[in-house]
Amino acid sequence: MTTSAHMSTSAQTVVAPARARTATAAATVRRRQGFQHGGWFVAPFLLLFVLFVVWPLLRGVYLSFTDANISGDGASFVGLDNYREALNDAAMWDALGHSAYFTLLVVPCITVLAFLLAMLAHNIERGKWLWRLCFFVPFLLPSTVAANMFQWLFTQGIGLINQTFGLDTPWLTDKSYAMLAIVIMTLWWTVGFSFLLYLAALQGIPDHLYEAAKLDGANAWHRMVHITLPMLRNITGLVIALQILASLQLFDQAVVMMDFGPGPELSTRSFVQYTLEQGFTSYRVGYASAMSIIFFVIIAVIALARMWLLRNREEGAR
Amino acid sequence: MTSTQIRIKSRRPWTPSQIVLTLIGVAVSAVFVTPIAAALFTSFKSEAEAAEIPPHWLPEVWTTQAWTALWETGNVTNWFVNSLVVSVCVTSVVLTVSALAGYGFARTEFRGKSVLMGIVMSGLMISPAVLGVPLFTTVQQMGMVDTYWGMILPQCAPAAMVYILYKFFQGIPRELEEAAFIDGAGRWRVFFTIVVPLARPSLAAVGIFTFIASWNNFLWPYMVTNNPDLMTMPNGIATVMNSYGIQWAQLMAGGLMAGLPLIVVFVFFQRQIVAGVAHTGLAGQ
Amino acid sequence: MGRPGLNRRHLLTAAGGLAVAGSFGFAALGTGADALASGADTRVRYWNLFSGGDGANMIAMLDAFRKATPGIDVKDSTLQWGNPFYTKLAMAAAGNRAPDLGVMHMGRVTGFSPGRLLDPWDVDLLAKYGVREQDFNPLLWQRGVIDGELYALPLDIHVQLCFYRKDVLGKAGLLGDDGRMVEVTSTDEWFDVLKRAKAVQKKGLQTIGLWTNDQNFQWWFFVAFYTQLGGQWFNDDNTEVLFDPDKATQVLEFLRRHVTDGYVIPGAPTGEQFVNGAPFTWEGNWSVPVFSGAKLDYGATPLPPVFGKPATHAESHAFVLPHQADRGGPANEGAHELAAYVVKHALQWAAGGHIPAYTPTLSTPAYKKLTPQNEYVGAMDHQATEPKVWFAGSTGVLAQDLGPVVVSSTMGSAKPASVAQTMRKRLTKLLASKNPMDGRTAAQGGAVA
Repeated sequence: MTTSAHMSTSAQTVVAPARARTATAAATVRRRQGFQHGGWFVAPFLLLFVLFVVWPLLRGVYLSFTDANISGDGASFVGLDNYREALNDAAMWDALGHSAYFTLLVVPCITVLAFLLAMLAHNIERGKWLWRLCFFVPFLLPSTVAANMFQWLFTQGIGLINQTFGLDTPWLTDKSYAMLAIVIMTLWWTVGFSFLLYLAALQGIPDHLYEAAKLDGANAWHRMVHITLPMLRNITGLVIALQILASLQLFDQAVVMMDFGPGPELSTRSFVQYTLEQGFTSYRVGYASAMSIIFFVIIAVIALARMWLLRNREEGAR
Repeated sequence: MTSTQIRIKSRRPWTPSQIVLTLIGVAVSAVFVTPIAAALFTSFKSEAEAAEIPPHWLPEVWTTQAWTALWETGNVTNWFVNSLVVSVCVTSVVLTVSALAGYGFARTEFRGKSVLMGIVMSGLMISPAVLGVPLFTTVQQMGMVDTYWGMILPQCAPAAMVYILYKFFQGIPRELEEAAFIDGAGRWRVFFTIVVPLARPSLAAVGIFTFIASWNNFLWPYMVTNNPDLMTMPNGIATVMNSYGIQWAQLMAGGLMAGLPLIVVFVFFQRQIVAGVAHTGLAGQ
Repeated sequence: MGRPGLNRRHLLTAAGGLAVAGSFGFAALGTGADALASGADTRVRYWNLFSGGDGANMIAMLDAFRKATPGIDVKDSTLQWGNPFYTKLAMAAAGNRAPDLGVMHMGRVTGFSPGRLLDPWDVDLLAKYGVREQDFNPLLWQRGVIDGELYALPLDIHVQLCFYRKDVLGKAGLLGDDGRMVEVTSTDEWFDVLKRAKAVQKKGLQTIGLWTNDQNFQWWFFVAFYTQLGGQWFNDDNTEVLFDPDKATQVLEFLRRHVTDGYVIPGAPTGEQFVNGAPFTWEGNWSVPVFSGAKLDYGATPLPPVFGKPATHAESHAFVLPHQADRGGPANEGAHELAAYVVKHALQWAAGGHIPAYTPTLSTPAYKKLTPQNEYVGAMDHQATEPKVWFAGSTGVLAQDLGPVVVSSTMGSAKPASVAQTMRKRLTKLLASKNPMDGRTAAQGGAVA
């Protein structure tokens, strides 16, 4: 899960096309002042976008139907063979399972933790900048640096985590702990981002709501349940969606903490890692492309599901 | 939050609940800062002490050997420059193209706009993690493997940033522009003299976020560079420094060197960065 | 935070502008100055995968070559070891942008489509620069020969070793008169040695480092002991699997017993434990500079011949000629001269723990004085190697498929006997699979044998 993954998915959620379309239509009606060359504004971005997003996607689709290797020559058409093989590849399903397991562990923890941290920072009256700094600072570290730190903290024998808690747990080398170690590291490293989102949302709740409730005699608990939580519904949806999409793309911290291997008995090999292994270790670019496309479809389905949920809710609210 | 608010607040008395909350805050903060502090201490140990069993928190003998060794081998300084070059280039390209595109989508008309907008938005789902291998072969075809451009350009088409700026530009009152049009200003002039200055906070947010993401990016530079002279900090530390028997003290020193610039920037520009993160994130609501 | 004064803003703007301009200049230069573009005719472009201590040794040897032959300009590029290196070399060779000279692991050569991605060496030209077949271990030389042509010129072999601490073994009476570890010829003797060492070692540490969780090391150890048992992989035509699950089970049980008898702390960092006082560790010879640097009193022998016949896992760095459509001319001759020079002057290389492939080096007084190198030099004659098929080689497909199952047996999450069967099944599948580089199976590419 990289910061760029956070980023590229951050607006992800967003695209309620219905809204966009209405706005565009309105704009069309309102002004027709001869801006036919508006396309030039978009052109530089589109050029990069076509070269590095659209074209690779199309190329991936094409390659997935071939037995292309990394040297880029002599590929021949193999139809659906790659897809058939992938769907029967137990190792691929394992890898997908690891990514999903990681996601299942990380998403609820991060959401709850980020909310609690935000409530804490929001309600302490002094030193707000300090809490923000402390909770957010890990997020500023490169994934590999954060992973190296935790690799060292978790290493049996020389690691300070076992030392501090009086344990002798083989965190990184036993398949029942390895993923847990990665999850703990990830919580520490990325919770700051969601924390800031919650904090911003909390600060956006108008004070008069609370004051009114106080006048009505609501205690702190009631105020949280009846004002804070409902007001945070949207942001919670956003945090969860961002975390799901970022967590499914698990790669950096897992490979670094496992010394670029698949973890004890392959237990931390993520989908992304397996795909790259197929492409760059086994040179099977065609097969790796098929897996990339499968992954793209999974991500797309999740994104569309969220969009659909959002729209349903909007309509329900109306 | 402004400084006046803080001053008013800090005059309030210490209520019992505030004392409890503050104590909890301190404890939790300690948990968050401890790994970084431990890394810092370890970077001042000798390699033998860093790998000692059982471990201890503070160095028994303080030494700067890890830092000087880092400096002398030269790799890390090289990587630092590379990281800077890549991040600065990515940030400036992204700011330019996504501001133009965001404005183009928000305020201009051209044929096929809505279709294009839809396509760009679906690009939000694509990242090097999702499409790594095909993206790599594309860049390979362009002959850009192991070059700065190969690292930079594929990071320069973030649909998310276009979307954020698009939302912002939509919110600028049209009247501001229309006045200028009536005065005979052209589209471009309006963009540069009126829209861009108005958008400064949003542009700052996008810029800061892009810089953080690019500075910390690992996966793509990892895929596209093999030459250690061209590596960025996160990549070099994870691959080259790890490959010859881990030297923990040096590794921690290198990691801190990679992380410190952003931390320092954060301390100084905290308000803007927090606003930026919140802004970019909340745009997604 | 201070007042956002006008001055600071100006300053920031100016600094920002400078940074942006400078970065773009740098990026443009960086690509423009990509010195890999072809140069003068006497220039030899050389890609290697050596960083760290090996890298420093290699650079010293290159500098010596530059001094000795001023007519040849060597442009060396060090790339990151591992799969990215092979990927990149393959792409360059396929795209006809290959360097004049490269380095590979011997085991990967077969999978690298010799003849398509690699060009053969001109043996006469090598002889002109003083490198002849008779100066090498015959088996090692033959590993680089495919279809009668030499594709890989060996630089060294690197082996798996049993490192031991003389201070601990001395206390346990496990050192011979020559100050080296007593000989071991059976598994019982070996476990007896471990038991006696454990009795005197520092408490809280493991007795032996075995990389129980590392799929590469576990695989290398497996190959070593399986070879000691005389186990085979495939028939000569690569059409049939001869893998013997019974022998494999014996090996797996042997590895596992280190864990069940409590000599290993699974997952404990092996090197660190050894430096801290653990009596044994099994590591690659590249750990020699690390342990010597830590000023330990230690020795290193090949893995103990517990199944009778000595054999230890060995890989080899070798020089190769990546395919160039128009190979020939001064650059090609320069590549031959450079490779020959480095192979012949590999004493410096031995400092990294590697055993030089050029046998005359081994009998020089300077080499004989190197400790512990002189203790394990005999490993050259007892190499256990992976089969010569396209999917073999350092971090190749074979190791990637079989390594994890060996680990699962050693760690105890699968029974040795069933793991041996799994290994056989996977070998069968691999033998039938096609090399993605040329679409041929091991048997079809089998002119090798």
